[in-house]
Amino acid sequence: MDRKEHLAVEKKKIAPDKCVVTGKGNWYFPPADIYEIPDSFVILLDMPGVPIKNITIDMQDNELVINGEVSLETYADEKVLYNEYNIGHYHRHFTVSDAINKEKVEAKMSNGVLRLTLPKAAHVKPRKIEVKAE
Amino acid sequence: MHFVNWNKADPLDSITHIQREMGDLFDFLSSAPQAEGYVSEEFPQVILSTNKEFVIVRAELPGINAGDLDVQVVNDLLTIKGERKPTAEASAVTYLRRERDHGTFARSIMMPEKVDPDRVTASYKDGVLIIKLPKAQESKPKQVVIK
Repeated sequence: MDRKEHLAVEKKKIAPDKCVVTGKGNWYFPPADIYEIPDSFVILLDMPGVPIKNITIDMQDNELVINGEVSLETYADEKVLYNEYNIGHYHRHFTVSDAINKEKVEAKMSNGVLRLTLPKAAHVKPRKIEVKAE
Repeated sequence: MHFVNWNKADPLDSITHIQREMGDLFDFLSSAPQAEGYVSEEFPQVILSTNKEFVIVRAELPGINAGDLDVQVVNDLLTIKGERKPTAEASAVTYLRRERDHGTFARSIMMPEKVDPDRVTASYKDGVLIIKLPKAQESKPKQVVIK
C-alpha cells in the first residue's frame, strides 16, 4: 500500500448492524487493521474517546464482538460553535476460524487504539521440521 | 425643512439590485455540494466550543504518541501538528486488512475570540486531544456599574 503523505479526513461510518446494546447515541464502525505476525494475528481498532472500562469484548462461538462506549458528555455550560465530527459508540464484530486459540485472546488499549492479539492455535503455528541425517 | 430626502430614488439602485441578484446566484451555484454545512475537510476534524472562561477545541486523534503532537498558539491562531506513525512491530508483518491511515497532518484554526496564549493547556486522553484556551481578559464581558 502506498504511503500517504498527509492524513485525510474519513467520515465515520455508522455500524451496519443493529447493535444489541441499547441506549442513546450513534454507533459507529471503527476502522481496523489486521495483520499477521509469526505467532498470532493482531487486530487494531481506532476507538477514540473510549475509556478502558467501557470496552467489552465477547467471544461467542466463532464471533468476536467488540463494543466500545464513549461517555456522551454533555456540553453543560459550553456553547458549541462548530462541530465537524459526531461522537458515538463503536461496534464491530469479526468471525474467527479454528486457527485461533480462543482461550488466549489478549486486548490492550492505548491512546484510543484497541489492540487485540489472537494467538494462533498450535496446529497452525510455524513448525520447524528437523532434517535428520541418515 | 428636509435635509435628507429619504425617498429619493438612487439612479444606481437598479444596478445594485442586479448586482445583488447575481451575487446570490453565484453563492447558490458555488455552495451546491454543501450538504453538511460549513464542515471543512481538514484533518483533524475538530469540535470548537466556548464557555465563560475558555475556548475549547476537541479533536479525535487515535493512536498518536503525545510526544508526536505539536500544539502552538500564535496570536489567535491555533496550530495542531503531528504525525501518526505506522504500528511499530518488532517482526515483519503481513497485512490482511488495512483501513487505518497514517501520515503527517497540520491544521490551523482561527480562534473566535482573543485568547491568552500563555495559559493554554492541552490534554490527550483515550485518543482525544482537548485544548483549553483561556479567554483573554479584555474579551471577557465587563459588568458596568450603574451609579
